[in-house]
Amino acid sequence: MVTFSTVTAAMAMEDYCMGHGVAGRIIPLPQEISAGCGLSWRTQPEEKENLIQMMAEAGLTWESMHECML
Amino acid sequence: MITVNAMGDQCPIPVVKTKNAIKEMKKSDVVEVLVDNEIAVQNLTKMANQKGYEVTSEKKAEGAFRVEMKVEIADVAEETVAEPVVCIPDARKNTVVVISSNVMGGGDDKLGGNLLKAFIFAVTQQDELPSTMLFYNGGAKMTVNDSPALEDLKSLEAQGVEILTCGTCLNFYGLTDELAVGGVTNMYEIVERMNNASLIVKP
Repeated sequence: MVTFSTVTAAMAMEDYCMGHGVAGRIIPLPQEISAGCGLSWRTQPEEKENLIQMMAEAGLTWESMHECML
Repeated sequence: MITVNAMGDQCPIPVVKTKNAIKEMKKSDVVEVLVDNEIAVQNLTKMANQKGYEVTSEKKAEGAFRVEMKVEIADVAEETVAEPVVCIPDARKNTVVVISSNVMGGGDDKLGGNLLKAFIFAVTQQDELPSTMLFYNGGAKMTVNDSPALEDLKSLEAQGVEILTCGTCLNFYGLTDELAVGGVTNMYEIVERMNNASLIVKP
């Protein structure tokens, strides 16, 4: 799970990922995680490093990452 | 892909067959399970969620359902621990969810679209599922091809949630041929479903 400090940042992430065929989806922030805004990006844990690099290159701002079972 | 045929099987057999197939797996793979009843879909979905497998499901035809789960190799090792299989009772309650717009709340439509998507996802995560979801006016845009909520709605339909979209509304928006999940309904049925509901949930 990637969390964002603003909803706008979460929506920018979704726009970018959908436009570039990046796997994952927006879901409401799980109740177990108390962070950021109410939306988060869900993808597989093994995508973590790729995602960090992609977000840096695309100028997407994120807040924190969590590995959890949903 | 590994296919588990559990057609004609009642709970707990579909879950047991699926767990046995997963135990035999040597590497990460997609497991598809074919079943003929909604309760089996509910139990398989619950099992996959508990195990952390990504799961989707859809109703292929009357009495024909397909559940797909992505099983990661790391998860398979944990699978060796034997756990009892518990059959959950039917998760549906006599609740009707009414979606009357393609956005949730008034204000900003882009935000509202995201909120509605998040709402429908959250419905899939509830222990108790609604018996029916009604879609009318702008809500009709959620059940057609290219809807951002299609995967979640197909999963709900496969678990026995009745998905009904207003036919007049599909016609008005020129979407009659685009309906991608559930059936078409009319105002009499909409009123009847609402009248008979023990609870109406409207985002």
